[in-house]
Amino acid sequence: MGGPGKILVAILVLAIGGTMWAQRRSLRELADEEDNPAPWPADAAEKTEFVFARLRYMARRNGYFGRGGGAWSTDYPKADRQFVQGARRLTRLHVRSVEQVISLDDNEIFDYPWIYATEVGRWDFTPEQAAKMREYLLKGGFVMTDDFHGTFEWSVFADGLRKVFPDRSIVDIDNKDAIFHVLYDLDERFQVPGIQLFYTGQVWENDGYEARWRGVYDDNGRIMIGICHNMDLGDAWEWADLPQYPERYASLAYRVGVNYIIYSMTH
Amino acid sequence: MFEFFFGHPRSLYSKGEIVLLGGWPWWVWLLLALAGAAGLGFLIHRRMRDAASGLHGWRPYVIWALQSSMLAGVLLLLWQPSILVSTLKPQQNVVAVIVDDSQSMMLKDAPGDATRLDALKQSLGGDVLNRLGDRFQLRVYKAGNRAERIKSLDALTGQAPATRIGDVLEQVNAELAGLPLGAVLLLTDGADNSGGIDFDTVAEMRARRVPVHTVGFGKEVSGRDIEVVDVQVPARVLADSRANAAISIAQHGLSGRVVKLSIRESGKVLAQKQVTLKADGQVQTENVLFNAGDVGAKSIQVTIDKVDGEENVRNNETSRLVNVENTKPKVLYFDGEPRWEFKFVRRAMEDDKSVKLITMLRTTQNKIYRQGIENPSDLESGFPAKVEELFGFQGLMLGSVEAGYFTTAQQELLKNFVDRRGGGLLLMAGRSSLSEGGWNRSSMAEMLPVVLPDRKGTFQRDPATPGLTAPGVDSLLTRLIENPAQNMERWKKLPYLADFQDIGTPKPGATVLAEMNAGGRAGMPLLVTHNYGRGRVAILATSGTWRWQMSQPLEDKTHEQFWQQMLRWLVTDTPGRVQAATPRQMLFDESKIRLTADVRDKTYLPAPDARVYATLIGPAGSGGQIELQPDPATPGTYGADYTIEKPGSYVAEILAKRGDEEIGRDVITFERKDGVAESFRTNQNRDLLTRLATQTGGQYWSPADLKKLPDEISISEAGVTVRETRDLWNIPAVFLALLGLRAAEWLLRRKWGVV
Repeated sequence: MGGPGKILVAILVLAIGGTMWAQRRSLRELADEEDNPAPWPADAAEKTEFVFARLRYMARRNGYFGRGGGAWSTDYPKADRQFVQGARRLTRLHVRSVEQVISLDDNEIFDYPWIYATEVGRWDFTPEQAAKMREYLLKGGFVMTDDFHGTFEWSVFADGLRKVFPDRSIVDIDNKDAIFHVLYDLDERFQVPGIQLFYTGQVWENDGYEARWRGVYDDNGRIMIGICHNMDLGDAWEWADLPQYPERYASLAYRVGVNYIIYSMTH
Repeated sequence: MFEFFFGHPRSLYSKGEIVLLGGWPWWVWLLLALAGAAGLGFLIHRRMRDAASGLHGWRPYVIWALQSSMLAGVLLLLWQPSILVSTLKPQQNVVAVIVDDSQSMMLKDAPGDATRLDALKQSLGGDVLNRLGDRFQLRVYKAGNRAERIKSLDALTGQAPATRIGDVLEQVNAELAGLPLGAVLLLTDGADNSGGIDFDTVAEMRARRVPVHTVGFGKEVSGRDIEVVDVQVPARVLADSRANAAISIAQHGLSGRVVKLSIRESGKVLAQKQVTLKADGQVQTENVLFNAGDVGAKSIQVTIDKVDGEENVRNNETSRLVNVENTKPKVLYFDGEPRWEFKFVRRAMEDDKSVKLITMLRTTQNKIYRQGIENPSDLESGFPAKVEELFGFQGLMLGSVEAGYFTTAQQELLKNFVDRRGGGLLLMAGRSSLSEGGWNRSSMAEMLPVVLPDRKGTFQRDPATPGLTAPGVDSLLTRLIENPAQNMERWKKLPYLADFQDIGTPKPGATVLAEMNAGGRAGMPLLVTHNYGRGRVAILATSGTWRWQMSQPLEDKTHEQFWQQMLRWLVTDTPGRVQAATPRQMLFDESKIRLTADVRDKTYLPAPDARVYATLIGPAGSGGQIELQPDPATPGTYGADYTIEKPGSYVAEILAKRGDEEIGRDVITFERKDGVAESFRTNQNRDLLTRLATQTGGQYWSPADLKKLPDEISISEAGVTVRETRDLWNIPAVFLALLGLRAAEWLLRRKWGVV
């Protein structure tokens, strides 16, 4: 290959590489903040109806930073990518194979009407972020929270939520609510443990002995925030491929996740 | 002037036959004229050699032509040219004089600030009526809704509430059927309130050869006036719906002025619009949206504010009835996969209490999630496969679903839902919709308003910016803001749509209400509608309007408004199994109304074996019950005439039964208003009067010429007539023509110097 040929190849490599890099950047793959890396799927750039949007929020002490610091990225991105594979198989939902990390600092959030937020026992909001979250929810957005345990984390979560909705109550979701029946009938729900099950043998963390299925409703009786307290559905998605992780927990976690998504797309 | 030169009135020439009374045949005159012309030609040719130098070239031929014409004309007089005409025998014929006695005749636009009726009395009452009486047996009638015989013009009061020229002519013609009716003289302003004179009436007069002579009173063009010419409103709307009033107005002398149009109900202003008046006489139609409000029959007043110097303000207002129905039509929305549009459409409809939305969502391959159902068993078996089940809905929305998902029978059912049942169908874009779902190759393609692309890859999840087309600016479906220009701008500023689909080419007759710029292409159809059979079909080439909800301020209701209008459009015109109708809901000074009902069986096929009754309630309480009779020409259609005895609002409940089984019922409202019609179309309708006279062999007269009428009215082929000849040889025109020929020759000779 002569000089001009090499230059052409170099240009092509740069162009293709640049495009791929830009694509990965646009999908917000935040390698530095990954908690549990997962392979980048070949169809990651596919444009789909539904995208698993993970909220990158500001933790009370550590701000945004993950991997032991920021709470938002717990189980990220393996839990997300493994869960959406299940959602693809189990439903007719057109789901992207990779997640989208979004924050309350810009308006991108309004293009993702379903959001997953984990470790919310550490979340916090500035007044502007709280206002944006409130607007998002009242317009029709849905937030699923997960992986926070016990009394202390609940109080931190509730503090954050009060900034969003000072006057709105958090209530236990009735067993008959559509969110537990929209696709799967989830009358029999139980506490889904995190990976700490292997180390401690306990299904609970802190003093969160009992799974609580709670929510915040809007004025028309629709759940805006699905609160999964004292459980770790994210870990169940993340470790569903681990033979030692009990299938019954992973199965329930998938069904809950799918139901919450379908609920948010029908109510 | 005509009569001075030609010795007889113009009508004599138009109705008479020209004959030659001389004893010799006409061809003898022709031979002599030709021989004379030849002889003159010979003489002129012989003398050409000796002629003066000025007579050369074409000039001798001119002289020859003039002399030959002169000779032929003189010879013609020997054959005694005359005109043969039928005239009424004196004292043996009846002449009907019909005088408009309606309120419009009291308008003061005659010379000297007199009323039209005063002018009429003055023109007719003096010598004219006496002269007519000397020759004919007169029957004088005053006319309003009906004709009433009077003894003298003093009986005219100008108080009749309407003028129905056609009905009156028909009545007079019938009354005088056994008498030798020689002519009809109609004196009126021509402001007919029945919308014209029907062909049958004119044909009957022509058959009897009775000429109708018309005399027009009143100005043909007003000074300064605005008139509400017509108002079209839907006969029935859903509660709390926006309805469109198409208001036609015309004006004279106020072109360019800005006036205010108002729509009121019980004095409360429902909508207003500023309108710039167009050219004089031009009818302009303005669309004004108003909220129909709660359930019930509403009388809607349409008013134009009075303008300074306006002569007639009574025609600035009119009213119409709108029946706000106490029904809640049902729309079935079926989507083949979970989508955001599904959720946000459901939310948009939650505040709409007039339309019930039932949804079915294929969440998995074999599961359908149903919302809005009344019983757990409703739609349990999936998308309706039975006609009764599907036809229970008034509207249908299909999301991302392949044509092949439906069985052949269901596909046929879908077509019949629109075509036969008259339902509204909306197809929405999606990865399994339209061309992506094989709709272009299915039998259902024929009912779509577009020719779908015959390829895949038409659906893309890329931004599309919406905009309105010209029809969309005024459409009730896409009207987000009342003002058309602002509405157009509002659409341009809407957030981009999340996705789009190429839906191909609109079919002839389809209406593109909105378009979009997407995928590097401008002007792609976004919202297309058309009528199919008794129903309607729309295609929305996106499933991404949900961004209008999520990307605009919380208070913004654009998304809700758009979808509420869309669903109302789907169901508003969907008929029930019994559909009652009347030609007009407002009757101005009319008493007869035709009630009709279209009756269908459970499958919406015409039901020809039903018994149909109308129970009427009027201002005085119960108006009784009448049975509507089947129309043999149109199976399933029933009709009856009803006479409205008193002015006021009426409600008719139409009930259709087959044996003891009730097929269905419908309610229709109508109102009779008296004393209103004469305020409208008050200018003299000369066009109508001229046409009536011409078509019956009569003549249009101005009041000033009326004194000539007694002489000319006797020229008629109706009644008892006699054939008369009138000489033509002695008319001034003949003398002047011969003199003119000689004078022309002399002048030419003078000019050429050959005298």
